[in-house]
Amino acid sequence: MAPSPAMQILTLVCGYIICVLIGLLGLVVLWKIFDGSIDLSELLDESNGGASMSRFQLLIFTFVFAFSLFLVIVSTNPPAFPPIPGTVLSLLGISGSSYLVSKGIQFSDPAALRAQGTEIVISPNKATVAPGKTQQFTADVSKAGAKLVWEKMAGDGAIDASGLYTAPATVTGGHSYATIQVSSPDIPGAVDLAVITIVS
Amino acid sequence: MSQLVIFMKWEVLIFLGGLAALVALQLLTGQINTDGLFRDTGPKGSGQTSSARVQLLIMTVGAAAYYISQVVANPNPGTFPAIPTAWPVILGGSNLLHLGTKAFTAWFGQRKTT
Repeated sequence: MAPSPAMQILTLVCGYIICVLIGLLGLVVLWKIFDGSIDLSELLDESNGGASMSRFQLLIFTFVFAFSLFLVIVSTNPPAFPPIPGTVLSLLGISGSSYLVSKGIQFSDPAALRAQGTEIVISPNKATVAPGKTQQFTADVSKAGAKLVWEKMAGDGAIDASGLYTAPATVTGGHSYATIQVSSPDIPGAVDLAVITIVS
Repeated sequence: MSQLVIFMKWEVLIFLGGLAALVALQLLTGQINTDGLFRDTGPKGSGQTSSARVQLLIMTVGAAAYYISQVVANPNPGTFPAIPTAWPVILGGSNLLHLGTKAFTAWFGQRKTT
């Protein structure tokens, strides 16, 4: 039995509403990638910081399969979901399983893993400085070329953009403390601290 | 209903095209990190360009380009083009070589002391 005209209109309206909602969701995702709210910078990264060939292959095959599926579906009128040949699934399976085995190999070697919280390591992490003197701090970062931001979080003195701390000229009570922090906008969430004792 | 189908086609095309363009742009501008893509990285890696990685990239790009060309020139609408059975074997071999090299380095390589 053919659907009534009212039902056809309702189906059409529901179809448009769903399409518009999904389209808006897609646009939001694209916009957030464009403005950096969705961060893709580590899309290909392994846990040791280098780019992964297996991830790159999976990315390429995913796009190839997505575009192929789209082209095949729209090549008929009306569009229809096609049967997926075993060879196509084999290619995707090879790519996916290669990625998984790659991860397995990587995690089987503890030396290849960089522990959480060691993306930035400040040096020295403790220092004693006389009033009016300076102390140079450095940071070892997991990502080559990452920009560093030095800040004084508490206490006296000042630190410049190169990590050079300058103690205050005088301290009351014979000693004082300061805490400095290093972070990087290129490694979100990575931070390390150092404590300085100022002794006159 | 045909208008809705056209609307859906454009919607999917814009999303897929936009996503691919953004990923490609970020890859080209360095926003997506590709450092070490060809290098034998890791604490036991040599740090040199790895032939296993380069051959995998060539095979991947070759297979992807070949398949897209087959889909575009497909004489049977509504079906996926047939892939020669040799392709999964070749690509599987390429991946096996890459993984074998990676496993050998991870399990039997000498850790760098620097």
